[in-house]
Amino acid sequence: MSRLHPFTLLAIAGSLPALAWILPAPAGGAWAAAVALVLTLTPGARPGFTSVFRTAVLTAAPFWLFLLLLHDVPTTVAIGLRITTMVASFVWLVATLEPARLVEAMVAAGWSASIAYLLAATLSAVPVLKARARRIVEAQRCRGLSPRGGIAARLRALRALALPLVLSALHEVDERALALETRGLVPGIRRTPLAPPPDPALEQATRWALLLGCLAALVWRFVLPRLT
Amino acid sequence: MKSLTLDRASFWYPATASPALRDLSLEVAQGEVVALVGALGAGASTLLLVAADLAPRVTGGRLTGAVTRRDRSGIVLPTPWTQLSGMAFTVWDEVAFGPANLGWPPHEIARQVDRALEQLELVSLASRDPATLSGGELQRVIIAAILAMDPGLVLFDEPAAELDAEGARTLWRLIRLLAREGKAVLLATSALDALADVADRIVWLEDGAVRAVGTPDLLADVALCDAGLGTSVATVWRAGGLPQPYPLTVAHALQRWR
Amino acid sequence: MIPALRLEGVTFSYGPVPALENLSFSIAPGERVALLGKNGAGKSTVVRLVAGLERPDLGAVWVGDWDTRDCVPEQLAWRVATVFQHADQQLFAPTVRDDVSFGPRALGVGEREVERRNRRALEDLGLTAHAGDHPYDLPPALRKVAALAGALALEPALLVLDEPTIGLDRVLRARVTRALLDRSAASVALLVITHDLTFAAETLERGVVLDRGRLACDEPLAGLLGDATRLEPLGLVPPPVAALSAALDLPGRPVREAEVARELARVARGRPAP
Repeated sequence: MSRLHPFTLLAIAGSLPALAWILPAPAGGAWAAAVALVLTLTPGARPGFTSVFRTAVLTAAPFWLFLLLLHDVPTTVAIGLRITTMVASFVWLVATLEPARLVEAMVAAGWSASIAYLLAATLSAVPVLKARARRIVEAQRCRGLSPRGGIAARLRALRALALPLVLSALHEVDERALALETRGLVPGIRRTPLAPPPDPALEQATRWALLLGCLAALVWRFVLPRLT
Repeated sequence: MKSLTLDRASFWYPATASPALRDLSLEVAQGEVVALVGALGAGASTLLLVAADLAPRVTGGRLTGAVTRRDRSGIVLPTPWTQLSGMAFTVWDEVAFGPANLGWPPHEIARQVDRALEQLELVSLASRDPATLSGGELQRVIIAAILAMDPGLVLFDEPAAELDAEGARTLWRLIRLLAREGKAVLLATSALDALADVADRIVWLEDGAVRAVGTPDLLADVALCDAGLGTSVATVWRAGGLPQPYPLTVAHALQRWR
Repeated sequence: MIPALRLEGVTFSYGPVPALENLSFSIAPGERVALLGKNGAGKSTVVRLVAGLERPDLGAVWVGDWDTRDCVPEQLAWRVATVFQHADQQLFAPTVRDDVSFGPRALGVGEREVERRNRRALEDLGLTAHAGDHPYDLPPALRKVAALAGALALEPALLVLDEPTIGLDRVLRARVTRALLDRSAASVALLVITHDLTFAAETLERGVVLDRGRLACDEPLAGLLGDATRLEPLGLVPPPVAALSAALDLPGRPVREAEVARELARVARGRPAP
């Protein structure tokens, strides 16, 4: 999966949620969500990502609970499936899209290196933050923090885990900006592609097909009824 | 030939009343290794950022005075893990990141990367994932990554902090090699004992200003010893009440003793 | 007396290659041990095993009379306080004082006792003036020291530190040395990973050297540090003061700065003037 051209991955991850929202619920949403979840089960996740499927499900679950509190069952299912599609597509994208390949693809297509890195840095942040989160959990456990206990205890624990992660990450944003500058990101210079991802005609066609498919669905769903 | 010249430079970080650098003048010539020593907060890191044209351009703040650079600079920060691109899956790609950004042709990139990997003894790690490296290995990878961009002025901020004895030895040898190749090297380090064989000149920074400049013999000076900035041998010699001049290294001490 | 820490035939692998092989050593209460070796020798793995974050594949790790295989890290925190590298990333409380209190509070220690431990830890490390500061307002070196204060506040029987002096200047290193020596005098055992052999000479008394996961040597630092022929094959270099002591053949071959200075003065006085 990760061997596909980055733009193809983006197209897939973009069109699934789009179709989920455009097509009539619940069938449209169910179909799109199913495809997205099946994608999360396919191998091809880059290092640092274990069980993409589980992550997708666990991230989407709280939304379902929230919806259930606010809406009746049919509405919950309709919106829930759409949100699930969005979440699953995004999680799949982050796990499958290699930042380096995205940068290479964007630069080869003429985008400026700085913008490419901005996008790629978002994707590459995840494994780094995961690794740091793990280290922080370990350090706090070694200071006596127990992940078990009642609600109050767990909330306290969450604070001791989330705050250091956020604080140290924020603190490092400045340093990261500085550090990336040290690696030669000078505006105006065209980066040398080291290994631009191949872009077979089939994939280009698929991307166009997906785009046209979304547009067609849009027209079918919203424009045609007004005309007839 | 001067690679870097600071003429009465003062620098204030954003929203800070007192300057981090005060009226500082300094020159670093090509082929020379200049070491900055001082207490924590004396301004060495700031000085390196100014030399690298990162302050005030990226950090913000205000700079007065003149800074002249002849060559492209490369800086190795004291937190090497922040300098990882996050976008390379092998050490080779990581080191190639910088040269690729500079738009060099592929064969030139390959040449520079291979050379840098060899210089930092990283050839055996070339296909490793940078995320799996230890602190010391990472520091060497970042150094290689900066050197692969072939800077004329190389700036190091505590480059040996995470290295073990062997790694540190390789680093100091490499720094001397860089100077022999004609590069200008400016480094901030607390590894005072190594400087006798590494630095051509020592600059003592205090509160953002130059307090003294001299050859490595400066590290055996009374004032520096009192400030905790003398070499271990000089410091213990002084503590033993023995007369000046204090020896810099064990070899010097042996000579004096006889 | 039960050792504060005992490793018995510990073997552990992360993957196919063993990180530690048949490692055995023990530390008595109050003993100060340096864990030395090249990068990759397995030192950090030992720390993880002692903290209970990993369990040995073979052999056992005993913290006092607790087998780490029967414990989770938060339990072991009652007896062993670990400060990892980059510990400054674990700080999060609004003030240094609050962060140092985090450990004892997590263990359920009473407020008055927390207050006492807090004050002691901050004083020992000279951080009292910064007690009310936000950790991220401190320079990185002081944040590191604040993380150490947090470990001291746990008042453990065993302190395990991974490179506690990287980034610290002479003054801060001396403060850390002083604080650790004080604790050791109160029977706290120390296991310190460090590649700063000068710091090891000043602070610690015994060296356990690892080489590719195996025990290469376990002996008093005093004899080891001045001996280049023993240290070289282990990838270590004698710290200058110890090397000086050996080169000048000072009586007793001291390795600590104060002792070497004293011997230098004594020998110099006894010599005829040049």
